[in-house]
Parts: sequence; C-alpha cells; structure tokens
Amino acid sequence: MKRLRRFLHTPEAIAGAFILALLLVMALTAPLFFPGDPQAIAGPALLPPFQDWSLPLGTDRLGRDVLAELFHGARTSLAVGLAAAAAALLIGAVVGTLAGFAGGLVDEALMRITDAFQTVPSFLLALAFVSIIGPSLGVVVAAIALSAWTGPARVARAEVLSIRERDCVAGARVIGMHPLEIAFREVLPNALPPVLALSSVIVAAAILTEAALSFLGLGDPNRVTWGGMIAEGRAVLRTAPLLSIVPGVALMLTVLGVYLAGEGVVESTAVRRSLS
Amino acid sequence: MSELTISRRGLLAGSALLLASTALPAIGFAQTPKKGGRLVLAADSEPRNLNPAIVASNGVFFISSKIVETLAEASFDGKDGLQPRLALSWEGAADGLSVTFKLRDGVKWHDGKPFTSADVAFSALQIWKPLQNLGRTVFKDLEAVDTPDELTAVFTFAEPTPFQLIRNALPALSSVVPKHVYENGKIEDNPANNAPVGTGPFKFAEYKAGQYYRLTRNDAYWGKDEPYLDEIVYQVLPDRTSAAAALEAEEIQLAAFSAVPLADLDRISKVPGLKVITKGYEGLTYQLVVEINHRRKELADLKVRQAIAHAIDKDFVVKTIFLGYAATATGPVPKNDPQFYTADVPTYPFDVAKANALLDEAGYKRADDGKRFALKLLPAPYFNETKQFGDYLRQALAAIGIDAQIVNNDSAAHIKAVYTDHAFDLAVGPPVFRGDPAISTTILVQSGIPDGVPFSNQGGYKNAELDAIIVKASETLDTAARTELYKEFQKNVAADLPLINVAEWSFISVARDTVGNIANNPRWAVSNWADTYLES
Repeated sequence: MKRLRRFLHTPEAIAGAFILALLLVMALTAPLFFPGDPQAIAGPALLPPFQDWSLPLGTDRLGRDVLAELFHGARTSLAVGLAAAAAALLIGAVVGTLAGFAGGLVDEALMRITDAFQTVPSFLLALAFVSIIGPSLGVVVAAIALSAWTGPARVARAEVLSIRERDCVAGARVIGMHPLEIAFREVLPNALPPVLALSSVIVAAAILTEAALSFLGLGDPNRVTWGGMIAEGRAVLRTAPLLSIVPGVALMLTVLGVYLAGEGVVESTAVRRSLS
Repeated sequence: MSELTISRRGLLAGSALLLASTALPAIGFAQTPKKGGRLVLAADSEPRNLNPAIVASNGVFFISSKIVETLAEASFDGKDGLQPRLALSWEGAADGLSVTFKLRDGVKWHDGKPFTSADVAFSALQIWKPLQNLGRTVFKDLEAVDTPDELTAVFTFAEPTPFQLIRNALPALSSVVPKHVYENGKIEDNPANNAPVGTGPFKFAEYKAGQYYRLTRNDAYWGKDEPYLDEIVYQVLPDRTSAAAALEAEEIQLAAFSAVPLADLDRISKVPGLKVITKGYEGLTYQLVVEINHRRKELADLKVRQAIAHAIDKDFVVKTIFLGYAATATGPVPKNDPQFYTADVPTYPFDVAKANALLDEAGYKRADDGKRFALKLLPAPYFNETKQFGDYLRQALAAIGIDAQIVNNDSAAHIKAVYTDHAFDLAVGPPVFRGDPAISTTILVQSGIPDGVPFSNQGGYKNAELDAIIVKASETLDTAARTELYKEFQKNVAADLPLINVAEWSFISVARDTVGNIANNPRWAVSNWADTYLES
C-alpha cells in the first residue's frame, strides 16, 4: 500500500496509471462490448463519426466499426508490447547474468554478440526478421524481442559485476552451491530492479515497433492493429482523416501512458532508495 | 492561416488565368493543338527493362510505347478496332498459314537508319516468339517471316493460326525494335533494353533512378507535324497519396493508371483546373479474380466453389471497394469486350443462405464453433483494391463458416507462393484481358501449364472438355465460329468455376485542363501520344 501511495505521489504517475488502466479495461472488455470478429462489415463504408450511435466512431473503407477495431487493436498492442518486453527482459537478464557472473571468455563472447545485435538498427532487424519468416503475432513478438534484449543484458551485467563481489555470494560459494544456482538464485534477483526499470521504455518501443511493422503491411493481417488501421486510413487521408488520426492518437496516448507510469515507478523507487 | 490565404489567392489567380487562356482559343479554333511544351506526369513504378518487345506489360508500355512503336494501335472507330502505325495494312490468308503486312514508307529509327521489313522479321522471330511473355503463345507456330521487299513482311505459320487472334494481338504484342541494334550479342543483355531505340514520336533521353524518366521530341517522326510536345517527364511518385497533391500543386499535369486513389476522385473532380477522365483504358481491362487451388479436397468439390461464388456480394465489391469505378463480372470475358462477351452464362447471385445450404449438401457441416474448414487466402499485393477485396472475401467466407486466414506477401513472394510453390488455397489475382481470350485468358484455366508460369492455371485444375474447346478455338480460322467457341468457353468456365470472376475494372486519369487529346483511343495511356498537346 505504502509503495502504491508513493507511486501515486506525482501527477505524471497518476496520469500514466490512469491511461494504462483505461487501456487495460479496453483490452479486457473488447470481447464483451464487441463480440465476434472486429473486422466484420458492420455498416455502410466511410460513415463519419458521431452520425450513427450504434457506430459511434463511424466506419472505415469497407464499413468496419472503427470503435470495435480500436478496442481490439488495444488488445494486440498491449499483448505484443508486454510479451515482447517480457521476452526481451528475460533474454537480457539471463545473458547479462551469465556474462557478468562467469567472466572471462564467456563474458567476452556474450558481450560481443550483444555488440553485434546493438550495431544493427533495431527496427531494420525486426523488419528483416518478419519479412523472412512471414508475419504472424508470434513472429512479430520474437522480432521485437530480438532487437530489444541488448539493453537489459548490458544493465544486468553491470549490476552482476558488483553483486558477485558481495559477501552473500562468497558465502554461497563456501557452502558449495553450484555456480549456476548462485548466479540465478542469489545474484539475478538482486540485479533485477534496475533491469526492470528499463521495462517501460521497452514496452513503449515495442508497441511503436509493432505499429510501424503493421503500417508497412508486415503485421498479422488477420488481427486488428492500430498500425494497420493507420495504413488503411492513409489512402483516404484527405477525405476521411479521422480514420488515421483516431488510431494514431490512441497509439500516442498508450506510449505516453506507459512512459509516464514507468517514470513514476522509477521515481518512487528512487525515493525509497534515498530514504533507506 | 496565412498559408491558406496565399494558396487560395494563388489558386484563384491561377484558375482565372487558366480560364482566360482556354476561353480565348476556344472562340476561333477549338481543336487546333498547340506545339511545344513539357508534359510532366506521375509514374508509380520503375521498370528496369524498358523493351516492350520482350516485356509486354502495361508498366513498360506506359513509358516505352512513346519510343518504340507497334505495327498497329487500338482505335475506337477504325476497322476491326485498329489504326495503322508501322504497318499500313494487314491481310490474312484464307488457310490461316500466312499474314501479309505492308509497312509504312519513310520511317527512320532514332539513330537515323531506315526502318525496313528486316526489322519486323527480326523482332518477330528473335524476340516476340522466343522471348516475349505473351508472344510465346500467340506466335508459337510462327515459322518464318519473308521479306520480298523492304516494305512487305509475310508471316508464315506452321499450323493454321486465326487471323482474328493475330489482329487482336497487334496493339500489345507487336513492338518493333531495330535489328541493327540487337543483332549482335545476347538480346536480353542488350543495353538498349534500358535505353530503348525506336521509331516513335519521342526519343529516350535519360533515366535517374528514383527520380524521373525523360523523353524528348523526335524531330524526324513520320507523323505530319507530330509530335506536339517537346518533352515528356515521368516523375517517379511511388506513394499513391502524393500524386493528388502534386496535381493540385501543379507539379505534374497528368496522373494516369489511377495514380490518384479512387477515394480522392470525388474531391479532386471539384478542384478547378483538374479533370477526371474515365475513358482511354477500354483496351486494358483488369479482372478481379479468385484463384482456386483445386488440390484442396474441399475446393475440388464444385458445390463448395459455387457456395463461395454465392457468398460474394459483387455489387458491394463494385460499390465499396471500387467506389463504382468497375463493373460486376459474369465470366472470364469482360462485359466491355465488343467481340466475344456473352451474358448467357450461369450466374451466382449473392445468397448466403443458398451458399450455406450448398456447403451442408457437400458434407461440410459447421463444427461447434460455427466453422466448417479453414483456408489460406493470398491477396495479390499489386493494387489497393486486390488487398481490400482480400479483407472483404475473408469476411464473406466467415459468413458461410469458412475460416480464411490471410497471408500477406510482397510481389515477388506472392508470385512464387501462388504460381511456383502452389502454397495457397484461395488467391486474389488481377489478370488482364487483352482483347482476345487466347492472349492471356484461356491460360488461366487450361491444364498442362508448367509450374512457375505467372498468371496461369497453377491451381491444378483439369477439365478435358474445356481444354478441347480451347485447343479447337486456337485452330479455328473462321471468325464467327471462333467467336462462338469462346462463348462456349465462357459458359463452361462460369458453370464449372475453375476460378471466380468477381469484377472488371479499368483505370482513371486525372489531368489538368491544359492537356489536350487525352483518352482518344482504347489504350491511350500506353499509346504513343504523338497527338497529345499542352495549351499554355
């Protein structure tokens, strides 16, 4: 409770938490409010918003309900953002811990691989990966994780380098724990907080990358995505600009919300640290 | 706001000027074309090989038809729908074994050498027949081209070949290239493929990748006073939304091939100084087709194919996807074809209940989740409309319990997936009807076509009766009998549904009012533009 109150200390954090909560509600209630396929044709094509209250945001080029697409798009964006960030953090933490704890040749090898991945622009890497394997939700998540794990890996390694010199680690060695057990049971949990602080940045970047891939036609074509909606709307940008603007604003708010909430978490932990 | 005022004032001034300029000459000599000027237009693709004798496709013709001419061009009012270009007359022998062309006198290649029948013989035997994508089928029995004198070329065929087919093929398939440029070395690697040399009203000047193609006036052109334009510049604008903006900003004067999105036409037709033209593409009809992989057990069942045909609301497709700029299709020959089309074929009106009943009858009952079976659907990526129709088809199939999963590919991957690997159940394709079913239409349903031939029957469909009609029509010399056979062909295709024809569409041009002599033949966008002019 205390932690939550501290988290909600700043107005940014409140705003961020509010947006994220709204998004979460949208994603969770999408199948309730809009059961069935959100891509089903619901009315006349290109109906402007606020004309027909059964279709509050109007319809797109084929007559699909924009509001339904928006709700279901929130699901895709959140699912991809969270899954990709979780995968990136997991890969990064494991690689960073192994490299930092083992040192020597293993460290060299793992860090050079990290370098290699970092030198390739992350979006290009995701683009190449998806266009070779073919677009589907799993592949998009993998592609984004593939280009985002290097940051957590570096941070984890740096943390591990200092933690492995601590007494508790020396103690664990003395009682004969297996080095891998020490690395993942003693060292990693202690190295995790700064790594997790990266998560908001990674989630935000993952959501944007997913939208960009969908915009370029490399998203999963059988799911509604905000990026795909923007791309669809682009052809009628002059006649029905809202078709691109609505999902664009949703995307912007989401990334902003994730970022603000992330800032709030970092600040509240910083306050706690300075207090202790 | 200040920006708006300036542009509005500029627009007003501009349109006033325009009005004045068009009003003045209109009083005395309305139709007199003006000489000079540079026409700037939008190009959306950059074909690497510009040799229309090898690559007979509209993307190549759009640029190179101004440089390299054909023996004849399509015409609204000419005999058999043709007007002479490099050939003045053409005559087929009664036995179908030869066609005689009389060629135009005094024509010079862009490098100054005279054009003779040897060039026609070389183009036909060395390029059209062995190398050209379409010529391979039409000229497959061409044995020799005799050149009794410099202005006569006699095509002789090993098997009787219908003169009607040769005639219909002339506008697209008979681009003549100079023998003296191509006779040494490998034809495919000749540098003139990228900088063509021809007899046309314009010469190839330069190409800057990603920027523009520039053509300049051929001062030695055979047409009297022609061409009127000094220069044609193809501005490369790959983004479809930018063409409309460029037209409004007067950066370009013409956007052909529907470079302006259909959804923008309504708005742009109200912009002063711009006109929307739907004519000039009658000879280039594209067909929206659902290609079917008959290797799938479900799709091999005629009832399932009929159910899919009944599930598609063609009127919706024409109204919503093509915004009315298309027509519903009944079969493999488009309605606007004057020679072959017949409406007397089985039709499949939109009827979801009937489609569901047909599927039940075929034994594919709905499972507990309401689905009968799943299919892989590959919409061709070339046009916005084919992609949108893919989205629509997925919904139409969902309504009858077929779960279609869309697979998106880029152009190269799509062609490989459908026509080489056969990794599809349904595909959405845009084949072109080129004035005669034998040129590029029968190949869509004929059996025995090797793997990897694009835009052909790669769905494993085999129908001996239909194959027999196709073969018989290709040997029938009598025009009336041949036409009758193709009507039979349409009936059979519509009855057995080797593929489903959904709609037929053509393109739209948007031009500034100053561009004259637009859309004056059925293949205008890919004709030579010798008579196109600019009022200034």
